[in-house]
Amino acid sequence: MVEVHGVSYRVGSTRILEDVSLRFRPGRFNVVVGPNGAGKSTLLRIVTGLLRPTAGEVHYDGRPVSAWPGDALARRRAVLSQHVELAFPLPAEDVVLMGRYPHFGGAPRAHDRAIVDRALDLVGMADKRAQSYPTLSGGEKQKVQLARVLAQIWNEDAPREPKTLFLDEPTASLDVHYTIHLLDVAKELLQRDCTVIAVLHDLNVAFQYADAVFVMEAGRVAAETDEPRSIERDLLERVFSVRARRVADPETGDGFWRFGLS
Amino acid sequence: MLRRLSAGQVHLLLGLALAGAVVASASIGAFSFPPGRMLSYLMQAAGWMAPSPDDALDRNVFLTLRLPRVLLCGITGAVLGVSGTLMQGLFRNPIVEPGLAGTSSGAALGAALVFVLGGKSVMSFTHPLGSLAVPLVAFACAFAATLVVYKLSASFGKVNVFTLLLAGIAINAMCSAGTGFLSYIARDPQARNITFWNLGTFTTADWRGATVVAALFLACFLWSVRYGKALNALMLGEDEAAFLGIDPQRLILRLLVVNTLMVSVATAMVGVIAFVGLIVPHVLRMLKSSDYTFLIPGSALLGALLMELVDVLARLVIKPAELPIGIITALIGAPLFLWILLREQRAGHVELYG
Repeated sequence: MVEVHGVSYRVGSTRILEDVSLRFRPGRFNVVVGPNGAGKSTLLRIVTGLLRPTAGEVHYDGRPVSAWPGDALARRRAVLSQHVELAFPLPAEDVVLMGRYPHFGGAPRAHDRAIVDRALDLVGMADKRAQSYPTLSGGEKQKVQLARVLAQIWNEDAPREPKTLFLDEPTASLDVHYTIHLLDVAKELLQRDCTVIAVLHDLNVAFQYADAVFVMEAGRVAAETDEPRSIERDLLERVFSVRARRVADPETGDGFWRFGLS
Repeated sequence: MLRRLSAGQVHLLLGLALAGAVVASASIGAFSFPPGRMLSYLMQAAGWMAPSPDDALDRNVFLTLRLPRVLLCGITGAVLGVSGTLMQGLFRNPIVEPGLAGTSSGAALGAALVFVLGGKSVMSFTHPLGSLAVPLVAFACAFAATLVVYKLSASFGKVNVFTLLLAGIAINAMCSAGTGFLSYIARDPQARNITFWNLGTFTTADWRGATVVAALFLACFLWSVRYGKALNALMLGEDEAAFLGIDPQRLILRLLVVNTLMVSVATAMVGVIAFVGLIVPHVLRMLKSSDYTFLIPGSALLGALLMELVDVLARLVIKPAELPIGIITALIGAPLFLWILLREQRAGHVELYG
């Protein structure tokens, strides 16, 4: 379980986060949304343990994140970033193998190789495993990175330990096919005792996948709900400074949002 | 061609080639020693064979001049090769080598400081350091120079190539100006010392220097081999490495220290030798892979191999005199490097600015 207790973050006199407390729902798809500059990325950097908050604490399973040894935390949570480039050419499978680094000391065991194979298979990149990473397309690179973070928290490794996957705007440069593919794979993980915590920009995509939504506004959590359908139009219009209209899909009856500038 | 071989097999091949080069380098020169004679000298030195009085001179030349030179030369090559690999990993860029990042010129400045201002007088600032003065002051200056270049070029977890190049140029210019000034004010024997040393030379090799560099290299090498995985992870960037449980700041600081230690002490012994650190990792990447668990041991072997060959050349070209090593490495290294660049550009994957 990942919990945030009264976290604030300041740079000089600028407040980026102000007394944020929240409890991410274990085993669910948690989505953080909010306009640019609301503090989503800073919150994610703090929750993943990359950045120390100026006040407050983040707990994993009741233990402060700063008290976790680096390797143990890496086996507990993985982070998929927006865009990862590689300084030198390595084959895709070697990049995925990096996800296993926190699990072995010297050379990878057969077990680690097997997990790499299955992670590549799961994201549909098994046939490109030997291809050099820099020569892959943007969407393929992101699939390889997804396989890497999956290998990092592969759950058959230690099924009793809960895992958390963080997604930091992972679909920002992906087309709709890759976006849906990536989020579907992430959603599958919920079946395997994994919690997903995602920062997403596309509100319709966010509400489609979310089990719980946290709306950030100016360094605070403006709203949180376990029912994305219940999010009010007024809230979205105020937080994102847009005009919002809920439209129903004529075939399925599902609602989605149309936005315009007010 | 070597891509089908495993990393271990490539290491084995390089090791065999190195063994051959060491034997050749030990046997060729102003005095030449056939392998049988070398063996008998070694056995005499070890006390397994009674020393024969009639070739005492030859044996002496072999044991006290040739052998330490071959050892120092190989270790220096290994130091420069491993250092190039570590620095390219640290800066996440294939154009970095000790010469570019200020390490070599910083070490040169430090050594020149001791040569010119150190002296033998009790008043000199190096007096308390004794014979360790040159390596210690060289290390301090090299570390400071490299740290400045790294701090300037790295921001927000990424290394900016252009800042890196500009910072490197500025720091190198400052250090060379310092070294130039020192050789200008120096009296003649000191100035000659600096000039020779700026071109790199193994002629002054003795057992003491060779053992110091060898011991230090061994320690630094064994330490760095363990960090192959961490350097691989650092390829993804500092944040991603941190998500994999690595503390990037600590890793970078340790790498800087270990790398500067090896390079400055080797440089203090033999002078500035350019291009080896740049070429070695490049060739290995081309031959096999960019995986640091392969590159670190590989660059030690290939660096040593190249340096032995260059040293043989240095002894043969203008016999009986010797060419300074640095001239040959630059003369061969620079065109070779240009050829690699051209080849990679034709193949369409120059990633210098990645």
